[in-house]
Parts: sequence; C-alpha cells; structure tokens
Amino acid sequence: MEKRLKASEREAFRLIEEMLQLMESRGLVELEMEHQGLRIRLKKATPGHAPQVVEYVAGVPQPSATAPGHPAEGSAAEGGHRIVIKSPMVGTFYRAPAPDAPPFVEVGQELEVGQVVCILEAMKLMNEIKSEVAGLVAEILVESGAPVEFGQPLFVVEPRS
Amino acid sequence: MFSKILIANRGEIAVRVIRACKEMGIRTVAVYSEADRASLHVRLADEAICVGGPKPEQSYLNIPAIISAAEITDVEGIHPGYGFLSQNAHFAEICASCNITFIGPPAQAIQLMGDKLAAKDLMRKAGIPIIPGSMAAVRNKEDALKTARRIQYPVIVKAAAGGGGRGMRVCHNDVRLISALMTCQAEAEASFGSRDVFVEKYLEEPRHIEFQILADSLGHTVHLGERDCTIQRRHQKLVEESPSPAVDGKLRRKMGELAIRAAKAAGYVSAGTVEFLLSRDGTFYFIEMNTRIQVEHPVTEMVTGLDLVKEQIRVAAGEPLGYKQDDIALEGWAIECRINAEDPSNGFSPCPGRITDYQPPGGRGVRVDSYVFAGYDVPPFYDSLLAKLISIGTTREEAIRIMQRALDEFLLEPIRTTIPLHKQIFSDPTFWRGQLATNYIDRKLDAGEGE
Repeated sequence: MEKRLKASEREAFRLIEEMLQLMESRGLVELEMEHQGLRIRLKKATPGHAPQVVEYVAGVPQPSATAPGHPAEGSAAEGGHRIVIKSPMVGTFYRAPAPDAPPFVEVGQELEVGQVVCILEAMKLMNEIKSEVAGLVAEILVESGAPVEFGQPLFVVEPRS
Repeated sequence: MFSKILIANRGEIAVRVIRACKEMGIRTVAVYSEADRASLHVRLADEAICVGGPKPEQSYLNIPAIISAAEITDVEGIHPGYGFLSQNAHFAEICASCNITFIGPPAQAIQLMGDKLAAKDLMRKAGIPIIPGSMAAVRNKEDALKTARRIQYPVIVKAAAGGGGRGMRVCHNDVRLISALMTCQAEAEASFGSRDVFVEKYLEEPRHIEFQILADSLGHTVHLGERDCTIQRRHQKLVEESPSPAVDGKLRRKMGELAIRAAKAAGYVSAGTVEFLLSRDGTFYFIEMNTRIQVEHPVTEMVTGLDLVKEQIRVAAGEPLGYKQDDIALEGWAIECRINAEDPSNGFSPCPGRITDYQPPGGRGVRVDSYVFAGYDVPPFYDSLLAKLISIGTTREEAIRIMQRALDEFLLEPIRTTIPLHKQIFSDPTFWRGQLATNYIDRKLDAGEGE
C-alpha cells in the first residue's frame, strides 16, 4: 500500500510541474487539468488584480486555460470580473431567431438583464435564453447550430459594475 | 442493427451496456450528471453529454434532457438500464414519438405490469396462480379488514404502483393492519404518486424464485431458467443464484411454462423477469413482473451462455431470437453477491466517499461487474451498488468455494461495504445446505451476527 500511495503522489507532482511550466510559458494566471480521476487547479495570487472567473471544461483530459487580457475574441479585457453564461439545458444553440434573421447579440454589444441572447432548441421546442447580467458581450463560445450540453459555457460577459 | 445507442443510466449497468455495444460495433453515447463527470461510463462511451445537476430528477430522470441529448447525438436507440426511466411507460412512449427505439418492452406492457393489481388480474385470467388477496385497491378500513379475515393473517399491505420491495408492511392482526394502511398509503403517495394499496396473504418464509424471459417482436418467447433471490435484507436482494437449490427439473418446466404464459399475456418483448414466491409446501404464486433487465442478470448469463444485453439490443433491432426453448440449457451453477457501499455493522447506513484502493478478484470462475476504481469518489446521490461479484462453478459447492476465495481477495478501501456480511453468509452451513427463506438475513442480523 505504501508503494501505491507514493506512485499516485508522484503522478500528482509530475502533473503539477507540467502545469506550472505551461502557466509560465503561456503567461496564465489560472489552469485546471483533469487526468485519470485526478483534478488539479492552480491559481496565481495576484494582489490588487480582480480574479478571473474560470469555467473549466470538465471530463476531458486537456488543459483549460485563461489568460488575462486575452485578445483572441476581439474584446478588450482590462482585467476585472468576467461572467460566463452557461447552458441550462441540453439542446441545439442558435444565435438568431430564424435562419435568415440577424443574431440576438454580437461580440462587443451591450447586454441588458432579461435580454434574449440565444435560442436553445430541444425536442422541437425553441427556448429563449435570457441574460441575468448586464454588461458587454466579450466572447461567443459556440457556433450557431451546434449541440450544447447542460452547463456548457455559451457567452462571456464583462459585467457593468 | 443500430449504429448508435444512448445509455440513459449510470454506474455499473451503464458500463455493462456500453461493453455490449462496443462488442457489437455500436457507437455509444453516455449521459451524465454533474456529479458523475469522472464516472467510468463517461470515459468508456464514444460520446458523453452532461444532462443536468446531481439529483436524479435533474439528470437521469430528466426526460427532456435525455431526449434532447439523444437528438443532438443522433442516436437510433436508447437503452434505459434498470431503475431510473427503465419502467417509465411515458418515457418509452416519448422515445417512440421521437423515432428513437426504446430498448425494452412496449410502453403498454410496462404500463400494465407497473400496476400490480392490473398485473395480478391479468395473471389470474391467464390461469397463473396468484397470491390470495384483494383484487382492487383497498377502499377503506372495513374493506381491508374483511379481506384479511377472508385470507387469514398474516397479511401484507402493498402499494399498487410500487415495487422493488418498497411501500410494504406485514401485519399479524387487525390493529397492525389499520396502522399499516395509513403508513403504506402515505409512503405510496410519496414514492410512487398513488395512494392505492392492496392486501395480500403473507407467506411465511417463502423462497423468491424469478424466471428470466426473453421475447422477440415476432412472437417467440423463451425462458432462461430461474434465479433464486431469497437472500434479501428488507426486501432488497443481496445474493442471487442460478439455478435454485429448491427447484428441480419438473418444477422448472412447470414454472417456466407459466412464466412464458405470463409474458405472452402481457404482450411482452425484450428481456423481462416473472417473480414467484415458492412456499415450503411446494406451492408457488406469481407476485410481479419486472419489465427491464435486472441487476442479477449475470447469473443467468453464466449458466446459459447468453449475453442478455446483446439479446435485448438484437430484439429491439427487429431480429428474431433464433433459438427455441429446447435450445436453452442451464449448465453449472452461478452465484452473485451485491457489493454495496453500506455499513452492515451500522444499520447498513450508506457510505459514499473516496475509494483509495480497489483490487477486484480474478481467476477462473470469477466475474466482476463494476464501475468503480481507485481514486473514484462515490457520489451520495444514487444507489449504493458498487460492484457485482459473480462466481461460476460446475456445482453449487464449487461456486460457493470460488465465491469465498474471491471475497477474500477483494480489496476495496476504505469505505464500508457488504463484503464482510457476504463472507459470513458464505461460511454459514445453512446457506451451504441451501435451506433458506426470505427472512434469512433479517433473522441473522437480529441474532447479532451482522458485524
């Protein structure tokens, strides 16, 4: 039993080392990885800097990473809270009310509480999903027409204070 | 044949179904709750969809979520496993209306057998012996008392919409009967959504003998012999074996024929189980029919050589059975122990938590159906079954010895399980002699032996 404990401890340390290297090389403040039943989350203490909200991609043995001020989705994030709108159900994600209609929201658009952000279709019923926060749409994480599962991140919003 | 199936379940049965699908070249979709992200069935499936929160109502019982998952993954069939939605006629109907094959019996058969009183009535008309008792829901106290006096105490009060050993109370006199009525009605409403209860004769120390049946959609029905599930704790099965030490060839033929008749009367397709109680004097009575694959199906598989889950899938795909009753033979002896995360020394209180060490037994004559592994956190939201340990021998004695060896090898730490209790059962001369009744465990525990 002693040997077995040490092996799993060694495995954990190896994973942590890998993660630390990854964080350094990519300039990440937070990283979570899941590997064979072991889930490790590392977060840098950044005094005076509001923590990023991270919603991890669970169940898949891949690193899920965020970086502060990540420019990829084209929105200027100067740090501060970011809220992720997650899917409340299983279904197909649609950005617009109809195939030829304009999407409900675009990146960079201002969002109000109660504003419809997308449609989730399940069993031939169209469910309008409303935002519970007001702010700026920072990222749209799913393509229109793609299937989504319960809890899947859909939108990243920078809330208004 | 299906190219893709969704498994609407979790734990060991989900793993079981995924394994059968893999061997048949069928792609698999797992659904899981947030509490089951790290679960084995999620890892083994080709695709996995999170369907909701940890509580069963949020996830595994969430019909819209499951159907939606089936639609977005474009599956052709859904296997419901056991428990959860497996005996939900409404779910079976929805699958049909969404053009997804429900891998199980027709919704009508589920509905019919789910109503214990309707099932009894159907069996009576089919000439199958049923337990004396009320043929309709108890209307009032006087009604119940009259029935009890007619059939004579002891009697049992049961929920009409119930099953699985829940919502039942044994009564030995009028006073007990009246209080049992109220308790059972309340329990029945809470668990099954219906206050209907009925009164039946309670057989003292019967054996629980159930017959596995298999039927295709072309009218062919066979039985695959019996399972003896007499060892139960509070009506929950702990140990099952096939064949039964109390059933000889003649009785098997007689009961088997009636089991087939019962299945045909219900218009049954797929795998199902007809349950009987066998009393000491050799008389037997139909109690209920389970319209799903059962936990203890492996013992039947070991003695018949059939893969029951594959047969379910084949039948659901429209294939004929391809064999007749004469082709079925029982060979050898199989026994199964349910390894539950429960503490026998503490009233069988459930023990969820992290498994740090897991080393299942192996070798000739041992089969383990499980979904746990070292490092796995057993969630508190679901049933406590961790593993099924099955032994197969040429004789009953050999099966027992193999089981004893396997129980000794089984390493599952640190959570408390029923392994110690099983070790006791398998070293008990009464068990070796095969002379048991359904109160065996409860009596054993009362005598202070359940450490």
